[in-house]
Amino acid sequence: MREDIAFIRHAVEEGRNYATASSPDIMIWGIAVAVGYIGTYAFVRGWSPLHPSWVWALCIGLPWLYSLRRLLPAFEQPCVDSPMARALSMLWLGCGVFLTTLAIAAIWSGDIRQGWFGAVVAGVLGIAFFVSAWLSNLGWLRWVALLWWVGELGVFALRHRPEVLPLSAALMLLLLAGPGLLLSLRRNSA
Amino acid sequence: MTDFDHTAIDELLHSRVRLAIIAFLAGAQTADFSAVREAIKTTDGNASVHLRKLEDAGYIAARKRFVARKPQTLYALTENGRRALLDYVAHLEHLLPPGDVSGGQSTDGRQR
Repeated sequence: MREDIAFIRHAVEEGRNYATASSPDIMIWGIAVAVGYIGTYAFVRGWSPLHPSWVWALCIGLPWLYSLRRLLPAFEQPCVDSPMARALSMLWLGCGVFLTTLAIAAIWSGDIRQGWFGAVVAGVLGIAFFVSAWLSNLGWLRWVALLWWVGELGVFALRHRPEVLPLSAALMLLLLAGPGLLLSLRRNSA
Repeated sequence: MTDFDHTAIDELLHSRVRLAIIAFLAGAQTADFSAVREAIKTTDGNASVHLRKLEDAGYIAARKRFVARKPQTLYALTENGRRALLDYVAHLEHLLPPGDVSGGQSTDGRQR
């Protein structure tokens, strides 16, 4: 009897982890950051007058507002998340806070021009996907992590060239928005 | 004589596979066929059979749609299914000696 109850709890928890991993936040962030890179590239090439600071303020600020909507009472979840689902949420929140604060510091100090930041983003996202694969029991996310780490090398190799911007945008669309879209489509009835 | 009533056990949920499907959907809210099959670690055929039985009993609802021209079936727990799961758990807990339900959490995740 005790084993049966434990079995049911485990299955419910797996379901919650799956639901957490399938949140559309990943897709929203992937698209927003890709737009940021494309906007920056357009400015560098002289195709757009909009300064990258404004582009990034929008492309980081808006997805943060979207991700933090859960703090609003209207979006409060009816049930308490399982520990694994909470760990998954906190992992992504932690990565988001780390990358945002580092981005602000790098832009503020001017170090962003040295080009290392894109490689850090790719490496951190690789870690986030790798851990998410274990927490959510979605094994294919490990391949996404691996591709992020390969992408990290590419971004680092091109760090002093403007082509790093479209490459980073492509990585965001393919390896962040893409998996996010796939996970959302598999779950949501939208 | 004990007050054990075997007829009170839901035969449909007494199968581990069907119980796993119902419990997984209770946590996931909605999931497509492959997510359910991966969660219960079984074959396509076996998953289909059990999903059909649960659907026929009104415990889950299926909705078909096309994603990138490929058919996709989404499953969700119905109110009947949720009630059946809670009744099943309550029945199991009733069979245990008082205070023997470890963990201090109910299956819906709320602290007890």
